[in-house]
Amino acid sequence: MIPNGPGVPAPGTERELHWRSSRHARRLLTLGLAGLFVAVLARRPEFAGLAAPALLLLVAGRVQRRPPRITMSARPSSRRVFEGERLAVDVVADGAGECAVRWRLHPGLEIAPVGAAAADGQRVRFVVTPERWGRRQLGALEVTLRDRWRLAEGHVSMPLPSIDCYPAPAQQRTTVVLRRLPNRLGEHPARVSGEGIEFSGVREYVPGDRQRSINWPASTRRGRLQVNTFAAERSQDVVLLVDATSDVGIPGSSALDLALRGAGAAARAYTDARDRVGVITYQWGGTSWRPPGLGRRQVYRIIDSMLASTLPADTGGWERGGSFARLPRAALPPGALVVVFSPLLDQRFVEALRDMRERGFTMLVVDVLNTEPPARRRAEDRMARRIWRMEQEAIRFSLRELGVPVVHWDGEESLDLPLAAHTRRPMAAWR
Amino acid sequence: MTGMAGRLRAAADAVAMRAAAVLLGAGCVIWAALPPAHRGYAGFALTVAVAGVAGGGLRLALTAVPVPEESYLLSAGLRAWRAFPAVVRQVPWEEGALVAIVWLEVLHPARPWHTALLGAGLIAYLLVTHLAETDAPLATLRPQARVLGVGAVLLALGAGAGMLPAAGPGAGSALLRLVAAGALIAAAGLVLPYVARRLPRAGRGDLAGMYNRRQGTTQRRAGPDG
Repeated sequence: MIPNGPGVPAPGTERELHWRSSRHARRLLTLGLAGLFVAVLARRPEFAGLAAPALLLLVAGRVQRRPPRITMSARPSSRRVFEGERLAVDVVADGAGECAVRWRLHPGLEIAPVGAAAADGQRVRFVVTPERWGRRQLGALEVTLRDRWRLAEGHVSMPLPSIDCYPAPAQQRTTVVLRRLPNRLGEHPARVSGEGIEFSGVREYVPGDRQRSINWPASTRRGRLQVNTFAAERSQDVVLLVDATSDVGIPGSSALDLALRGAGAAARAYTDARDRVGVITYQWGGTSWRPPGLGRRQVYRIIDSMLASTLPADTGGWERGGSFARLPRAALPPGALVVVFSPLLDQRFVEALRDMRERGFTMLVVDVLNTEPPARRRAEDRMARRIWRMEQEAIRFSLRELGVPVVHWDGEESLDLPLAAHTRRPMAAWR
Repeated sequence: MTGMAGRLRAAADAVAMRAAAVLLGAGCVIWAALPPAHRGYAGFALTVAVAGVAGGGLRLALTAVPVPEESYLLSAGLRAWRAFPAVVRQVPWEEGALVAIVWLEVLHPARPWHTALLGAGLIAYLLVTHLAETDAPLATLRPQARVLGVGAVLLALGAGAGMLPAAGPGAGSALLRLVAAGALIAAAGLVLPYVARRLPRAGRGDLAGMYNRRQGTTQRRAGPDG
C-alpha cells in the first residue's frame, strides 16, 4: 500500500530545455541528401522525387513551436519509509504545450523501481521501493519532449528529492523487565505492593484500608479481617546501545543491518510497554545519544538518531571518545536496562561494556554476528579461523562471567525467541 | 486481470512494431538489390544494407532488455553485456542502410516507378522505426498525414519526370531534365501544402459530408412550412 501523503502540490522548478534534432530527423536528412546527391550526380530525376518526401517533412516540421523551458515538480508520497515499503513519486511537467513528454526514471543507489521505469504524459506516477536503510537519493528523472512531428527532442533532467529510509524493524512482542524498578508509574508489576492490578498477597486489615479489598474467604478462615494486596506498577528506563563500528556480512543482512533492525524492534516493544527508551550509538571517534523518552514519536526519534548518528540531534548529543563514562546521566540513567546490539568485534567496545557492567548497569547483549572469515584450504588459514572463533567465544564467555547475558540473533527469527529466557521472569539487577 | 491484459497487448504491439520495421527494411533491401547488379561495389553495398537493417533491428530489440546497474564488482561478462547495448545504440545503423540501399538502386538502369516505390518503402521504414524506438502509437503520425500525402505526390512527380524522354542526346539534355524535374518538385512542394491546408477536413468537408450538410441546409430552409 502506498501512502498518499499531503495533498499540497510540490512547488515546481523551471528548467531550460536543450533542443536538438531527433534521430528520426537525422535519418530523414540522410535519405534526402542521399537522394539529391544521386539525382545530381547520376542526373536521374526520380531520385529527386525519392528525396522530396523526406525533405518536405523536415521543412514542414521546422515551423513547429518548441517551448524553451518547462516547469517540473516531483512529490514523493512520503519522506520517511521503511525498507521494502512502496513509495509513489508524482511528477508533473507544465508548459510542454503540444509536445509529447516522456519520463525516464534513473533510480538511485538501493532504490528499486516497481513497474515501468519510463512513462509518457504530463502527469506521471512512478512507484519505487528503497531496499536498504539510510538517507537515500531517489534518483533522477530524465525528461524528453518531442514536438508533434518528432523531428526535435528537448532534454532536461531533474534530481529527485532524498528520503529517509528506516530499517525494517524485526518482530518483538515481549520485553525484558528488571527486578528492581524505579519509583515511577508504569505497566510492569514491581516487587513492592501498590495500586496495581496484579495480585501479590494477603495481609491483615489495618484502619484506612479500603473495604472493597477485604478478602472475605481468608478473613473467615483466619478469624480476622484480611485484605488483598497488589503489586505496584512501575516503568523502567531502557537504553539501546548500538555498536556501529563493525559492518560485516552480506549487505542487507550485515551486522549493522541487524543491529539497527533489532534496535528498532526493541524501541517499539519497550515504548509500547510505556517504558522510557533512549539510544546510544557507538562508532569510531565518538558516541551519539538520545535520552530516554516515552511514546511512539520517540521510536522515530531513536531511528533518526541512529541513522544520523554523526550529527548532533536537536535534543540528543555527541560525545567524543570511546568511553561511556563521560555520558551525561540523561543519556544513561542509573538503574536503566541496557540492551546492546553488537557483533562484539571491536575490542574497545567490549572494554566499554565491561566498564559499564562494573559501574552497576544491568545489561543484555544481543549478538548480531552471523558471518565468519572465509574458509580456505591452507593450514595457516584454517588455524587463523580457529583462533578467531576461540577469541570470539572467549569474549562472550568473559561477558557472561561478568553477569552480562549474551544471546545470539540471526535476523530471521523474531527477537522474542533468543530473549525468551530473560523475558519469562524479571531480570536480576546485579550489583 | 485488465492490467495484465493491457501489458500483454502493449508488449504485443511493441513486438509487432519492431518486426514491421525489420520487415520493411528487409523488403527495401531486396527491392533495391533485385535484379542483382555486378558493378560498382554492389556486393559491398548489399552487405552494408543488410548489416544496417539487422543492426537497427537488434538495437530496437535491445531497447527493452534491462541492463545491469553500474557497479565496481561486476564480472567481465556482465561488464561486456553492459557495453554491448551501448555500442549498438550509438552506431547509426539506419543511416548506413539508407545510403547503401540508395546506392544499390542507382546501380540499376533507370526504372522510375520502381524507385518511387522504393522511396515510399524507405519513408515507411523510417517512420515505423521511429515509432518502434519511441514506443509511440501509430496515431502519433496523424498530424503528418497531410504532408506525407503531399510527399507521395512529389514522389510520383519525380517518377513521372524520370519517365520523360530526353530532349536530345548528351549530358546537357539529362541535366536539363533533372533541373526541370527539380523545379517541378520544388514548386509542387511549395504549393501543395498551401492547397492541402485549404482543403476541407474529412468528415466535415468530404463529398459525403458536403452532401449531408447541403441536404440539412435544404431541409432547414424548407422548414415547417414545407
